[in-house]
Amino acid sequence: MTVTFKLVPVQAAYDDLLKRSLSKISCDLARLIYLGSTRDYNTGTYHHDGLAARFQPDAAGKALEIAHRQIFYQLSAYSLEQLVDQLQMYLECSHESPADILRLWQKLEPYRVAIPVEVNPAVARLFLSNIRLALAIWRFRQEQEQPPKHP
Amino acid sequence: MIGNPTALLLGSVLFLLLLLLARRGAAAREISSRSDVPLFDDEASLDPCPPEFVTRIFSSIDWDFVTCTKSRELQKLFRRERKLVALVWVHQTSRAIRRIMREHTEATRQSHDLHFATEIKLVAMYAELMLICGMLLLAIQSAGPQRVGGLAGYAQTLSQRLAQAQQDFKVVTTGRHFHRAGSA
Repeated sequence: MTVTFKLVPVQAAYDDLLKRSLSKISCDLARLIYLGSTRDYNTGTYHHDGLAARFQPDAAGKALEIAHRQIFYQLSAYSLEQLVDQLQMYLECSHESPADILRLWQKLEPYRVAIPVEVNPAVARLFLSNIRLALAIWRFRQEQEQPPKHP
Repeated sequence: MIGNPTALLLGSVLFLLLLLLARRGAAAREISSRSDVPLFDDEASLDPCPPEFVTRIFSSIDWDFVTCTKSRELQKLFRRERKLVALVWVHQTSRAIRRIMREHTEATRQSHDLHFATEIKLVAMYAELMLICGMLLLAIQSAGPQRVGGLAGYAQTLSQRLAQAQQDFKVVTTGRHFHRAGSA
């Protein structure tokens, strides 16, 4: 009885999160970045005002945590080709210049903070490695598309 | 007295073991110095690597994709990156195996009715796994992860069997313990 009492709000909050927020985001990479941004850097707890207002804050936090881990594993299982497509979609939907994002991502690697806390280290390493490779491939493609410079 | 062929064989095995030990130390140093993700000293909280990711790490699909770009730089980057991921996985697997055997040793100390055949089987499985992990470290560094997918998959299956065997042993011994406590 107690378990049901605790699980139902988390499930309901999770469903609500998928329906209202995550389904409106263009791709899995953007969903991961969004979910990672709902986590407090200092405490590691997740916050979402709207979700916490509709459900209990604990249930909302748990739902965000579950969704974060799930999307992380989903994205880490993508092939490199699929990940390059994800990156392409993410860059196209961004309001910033793709070249600027690419430069910053390669320099600062901000996607590192998008990794959930309790995930397998080998999978986390695979994810970081694949993102790094996807960025390099995307940059390579951009360079190939540019016309050669004449002196 | 032992003959020349036996001495040669023993010498080769010893050399291989020493080489494996040396490479294992070197690989661990390489992982910790170049890997982005800490190796998580807290083993208890280690989430096991799902089998589909082992297939992904050692698969050649991504390599084929990178090869299509015909860029040497990208190919070099891919080889370096994927090698490190594979080494992290081997390191993690061998740690998990050692932890399972440590737990098993603890459990056997408290058990009064051990099955000799089961124990021998577990020790043999452990030795085989540790040898495979050593071989994987050598092979990944020399040939790359894409060439050893079969062996990695086998190590994953075998480590799951070892974990299951230890789990079964724990369930049986705990059951007996409760049964005795109830009878007393």
